[in-house]
Amino acid sequence: MFFHIQLERNMQLHPRHFGPHLRDKLVAKLMKDVEGTCSGRHGFVVAITGVDDIGKGLIREGTGFVTFPVKYQCVVFRPFKGEILEAVVTMVNKMGFFAEAGPVQIFVSNHLIPDDMEFQSGDVPNYTTSDGSVKIQKECEVRLKIIGTRVDATEIFCIGTIKDDFLGVTSDPGAAA
Amino acid sequence: MSIEPFNRLVRLAARAFYDDITMKGDNQPKTGRGDNRGMAVVVLDALTRRQWVREEDLAKALKLHSKQLRRTLRFFEEEKLVTRDHRKESAKGAKIYSAAVAATADQKITKEGEEKMKMHTHSYCCLDYAQIYDVVRYRIHRMKKKLKDELDDRNTVQEYVCPNCGRRFSAFDALQLVSPNDEYFHCENCNGELVAVSDKLAAEEMGDGDENARRRRQEKMKDMLQKIEEQLKPLTLQLARVKDLPIPEFGTLQAWEARANAAARISGDSSANDSSRSSQAQGYAGTPMPFLGETKVEVALSGVEAIEERAVADTKPTSVKVLPPWMIKQGMNLSKEQRGEVKAELSTDQMSQPDDEKKAKAESEDEKSFQDEYVKAYYAALVQRQEEQAAASKRAQQVENNGTSTSYLSNVVSETPSERQVGMKEKREEDDDVEWEEAPPAGKAFKVADLNIQADYADASGGDDDDGIDWEEG
Repeated sequence: MFFHIQLERNMQLHPRHFGPHLRDKLVAKLMKDVEGTCSGRHGFVVAITGVDDIGKGLIREGTGFVTFPVKYQCVVFRPFKGEILEAVVTMVNKMGFFAEAGPVQIFVSNHLIPDDMEFQSGDVPNYTTSDGSVKIQKECEVRLKIIGTRVDATEIFCIGTIKDDFLGVTSDPGAAA
Repeated sequence: MSIEPFNRLVRLAARAFYDDITMKGDNQPKTGRGDNRGMAVVVLDALTRRQWVREEDLAKALKLHSKQLRRTLRFFEEEKLVTRDHRKESAKGAKIYSAAVAATADQKITKEGEEKMKMHTHSYCCLDYAQIYDVVRYRIHRMKKKLKDELDDRNTVQEYVCPNCGRRFSAFDALQLVSPNDEYFHCENCNGELVAVSDKLAAEEMGDGDENARRRRQEKMKDMLQKIEEQLKPLTLQLARVKDLPIPEFGTLQAWEARANAAARISGDSSANDSSRSSQAQGYAGTPMPFLGETKVEVALSGVEAIEERAVADTKPTSVKVLPPWMIKQGMNLSKEQRGEVKAELSTDQMSQPDDEKKAKAESEDEKSFQDEYVKAYYAALVQRQEEQAAASKRAQQVENNGTSTSYLSNVVSETPSERQVGMKEKREEDDDVEWEEAPPAGKAFKVADLNIQADYADASGGDDDDGIDWEEG
């Protein structure tokens, strides 16, 4: 789920940036530092949409670095248990398949794949129904439900299922090709 | 409150869930005779026929050893089917209980031999119907949920175990376990191939979790679920039946005793002996204070029907008198009535005639003519003093008052409060005839002329009305 929230961060800026474009430099550094990171609490920071407030800088003794408290708005993405996501399959093996929904890795074990789908090993490992109408392989898109999340300080890993109504392959590059 | 459906529920539940529970102690490996399966059912059945019961009495009645019974009851207490109460009491305390039993029960438990003055800890037990209902529902729900989840592996995080080193991993670790070489998960420790664990209901007869075994297991589960549905059907039906019924509640042991004794004393049905015994027991019982207090409350409760009946009987008339909205409504009706009567009789005799007949059939013709005369006089007076309104209203009042003694109509129209009430009651008996309401439109011709007079009239009558009824409607 996506959220638009305000976060705060203390930015350290090198003295060489102290000049007419200090603010721009600060914002650029903020984006570089923050976007794409993951916090267990808020999820993945997808994008910074604006800087609300830059507080008074504090010069660090000895180094000359300056610390600015910066308040910024950002879009975060945090997966939740029970959430339905669309994800791209990245790897298929006998134990199940891995998929990615943006920055989130999701594993769907073979127990959570409908029983009528069988694993087919080979050049392109895939799960296929007995009549061959549905095929899950690398690069195809699936809709899945998250049944568990493991949130670390810097990482979120999910377990999904496609064994439910309206879940499964949504587009199949193998079939199109 | 009928207890029978709940008893049926308990009996069904007992047979469904506690049929083959053995209450064997760990240190009694006796076979054959020691096999006491089904005892749970017997105990529960016995409890459905009782309310609060002392455990020794129950044991005696069931011809069980009290230790055995206690073990069973402890089990049921843990299962939340039974509430128990333990208390230290002398023979007198027991007496209170037995009085209560005698008062409530159809079966009389007599106890004569236990008149020792030593304090003993006695245990009592009773079915907790409210809780039983919930417990049974929850149990069924859990059974079904477990099977269903099992059935479609829903919401289960797969676990893997390394057959070599026995280390377990969950699917959350999957990312670290994948190996680039083959399509299996590998142990972080020893790089052995991991095996999916299924520590589920169905026994692990499947070996390497191959598809066939899994399918078989699924079949088994489905079967089991179906069996549950079908075998527990009577129970679920009974649950549904009981759902909207008030759940019988015996309260705590003390409350129950108090109530039972009080009920016995009130009804005095069983025998004078009983009640005297209980009161006597109360007199020098070991637990007098709460008991007394309870008793008082319970007296009120158990006497409730009589009191309520009386209350209903009393309140009907009193509330009728007191209730303000009712009064106001009646008052307004009355004013309409007055108006209607006046107007109707001003216009024609017929309009009001049926009502008058209804009200007083015994009225004679000459009375009616008298009424007409009176009405004519009244109207003449009204017309005369149309301009000087206040005066007119007073005059009208006077005219009415003059007529009071003689004519019935004036009885209704003009009033001392008590007379008006007579009129109201009559009105009530007639259950609000519509004619009164219709009368004003009939008298419309006069309305234009009458309007202000009526207002004044209303004011005037409102003035002399000591009830302070609202006449604003006029």
